[in-house]
Amino acid sequence: MELNTGMQVNQISDAVWEIPATEKSGMLVPARIYATPNILQSMDQGVFDQVTNVACLPGIKRYALCMPDGHSGYGFPIGGVAAFDVHEGVISPGGVGYDVNCGMRLIRTDLTLTDVKPRLERLMSELFRRVPAGVGAGGSVKLARGEFETVMVHGARWCMERGYGWHRDLTRMEEGGCIGNADPSTVSDHAIGRGIGQLGTLGSGNHYLEVQVVSNDRIFDPQTAAVLGITGHDQIVIMVHCGSRGFGHQVASDYLTVFAKAMRRYGISVKDQQLACAPFRSTEGRDYFAAMNCAANTAFANRQVITHQVREAFSAVFGPSAEELGMELVYDVAHNIAKVERYPEGELLVHRKGATRAFGPGSIELTPEFRRTGQPVICGGSMETGSYLLVGTDRAVRETFGSTMHGSGRTMSRAQAKKLVRGEQLQQQMRARGILVKAVSMSGLAEEAGMAYKDISEVVETVETTGITRKIAELRPIGNIKG
Amino acid sequence: MSSSFRFLEDIAIADIAFEAEGGSAEELFRGATQALIETMADPLTVTNSWNRHITKTDEDLETLLFDWLSEMVYWKDVAGVVFHEAPLTLTLQQGKWTVSGKLEGAPVNSQLQELRNDVKGITKHLYRVGQEGSVWKARVVVDV
Repeated sequence: MELNTGMQVNQISDAVWEIPATEKSGMLVPARIYATPNILQSMDQGVFDQVTNVACLPGIKRYALCMPDGHSGYGFPIGGVAAFDVHEGVISPGGVGYDVNCGMRLIRTDLTLTDVKPRLERLMSELFRRVPAGVGAGGSVKLARGEFETVMVHGARWCMERGYGWHRDLTRMEEGGCIGNADPSTVSDHAIGRGIGQLGTLGSGNHYLEVQVVSNDRIFDPQTAAVLGITGHDQIVIMVHCGSRGFGHQVASDYLTVFAKAMRRYGISVKDQQLACAPFRSTEGRDYFAAMNCAANTAFANRQVITHQVREAFSAVFGPSAEELGMELVYDVAHNIAKVERYPEGELLVHRKGATRAFGPGSIELTPEFRRTGQPVICGGSMETGSYLLVGTDRAVRETFGSTMHGSGRTMSRAQAKKLVRGEQLQQQMRARGILVKAVSMSGLAEEAGMAYKDISEVVETVETTGITRKIAELRPIGNIKG
Repeated sequence: MSSSFRFLEDIAIADIAFEAEGGSAEELFRGATQALIETMADPLTVTNSWNRHITKTDEDLETLLFDWLSEMVYWKDVAGVVFHEAPLTLTLQQGKWTVSGKLEGAPVNSQLQELRNDVKGITKHLYRVGQEGSVWKARVVVDV
């Protein structure tokens, strides 16, 4: 297939496309893109340039991958997956993303739309009051530096010790909400200064907290859904999308500078300075990995503190305690991270940037309750459409280093979106459709209009068709909080 | 020529990009600074109850602008403020550029201020600083 990429793109199957390694000087492996023909055509040129640049990085294995929600990012495309040999390969902040462990969390309830609708206005006000969002918003958790370093090492476990959650929450998080090899001594004072006051905050951009409904006709696998706590009958669930905030960004920025210098020493050249990298086994590579894990753990803690605030808000509005309301965690997944995982090639450092881990049933990395179902995958759509709960598959482990999509992916820039709609107008339109939006910034709200995103259903169909994920339920928004 | 800036529509799908220019390197710094201030909040809605003097030096003007803008993002998070203005001077002495400025603003208050984007950082993606004839130009993509 000839796109306007200037490169040959071969169709491997209905929704898998390959750019051969011969298409760009320096490519070590082919690039593979998961997309329907329609999605492939809609992808911006940067995706093809960037995924083939990634295919040139030292130690890359099999393919440089891009998921169907892919669009151009910094260095790596968003939706990018790349695995590197831990002995001969590199680690790159560009392959993780600035917002380290940006991720999704889903919380179930026993409440239904009938219970919530009469109090939705009050509920959204209560959530908006308790979960700080937007520019410069600080969190309610005040930490001394020493305790913040404990958060960096213990992640969501720290939250349990401080009463910000239930211990069983940890079994429903990727890595149990705490990743090893986190060393605060590798984190700069600047990063600590930016992160220490942000625990329990949403941020802005595409980050949000959403109240959603699950109706029976949008549950595609009732048996698996039930195991995950999704029972339908207009059940209310809550989705949280955020990450490590300014802390993670500072870690990434710090190490991009370190790696730019280190590359000269290690004789590495890259096609884009945002792909700056270092050998994983080098001092610089190890230090970044340790600092990145600190940011990842802080992100788990951030989403856990927000979960605590959400539970408190629901209890305040509806009366019974959060436990009595059945507000159990469904799952928490990272979609900006690099992790060491075992594949037939050996131990690999898998970078996922805007891509979600999607381990299938039986994976020993999963806790027993998810070995039956496969790992839950939470994918957020635009605030106007809907989101999905899916599960990972063995095929993902075989084909995509256990990875899948993370959301719907943008097709329109923020500036373009703001030209087409005003925040206040969008807020009114959404209210008329039964979606109550609370936003700190009206211009930020306009930038996140549904028309700026791909159709998430088509993106989900792609991963379902290719067998790398299985859809379980669609989640429809009724309330949204944005920064 | 005084400083100016414009937001770019097509080069950063998920984030925000701007191009700043000026008749001198100092004017360029002013334009880029104003663009970043306006990315975060409408400065006309922000008062001057907080300030911080910042001085940074580097041999490389491109690096210096990157560091200066990054410092503004740092103080936005650390002090929890948005900015009204940031008057600055830029000098070149013995091959080194020095920017000296005063960040002026106020603690974030969504009731009083028109808040926009919470900038997480300045990126090197498509980052460029240069001179075209007598005009200094910079292109900056900020991560939000």
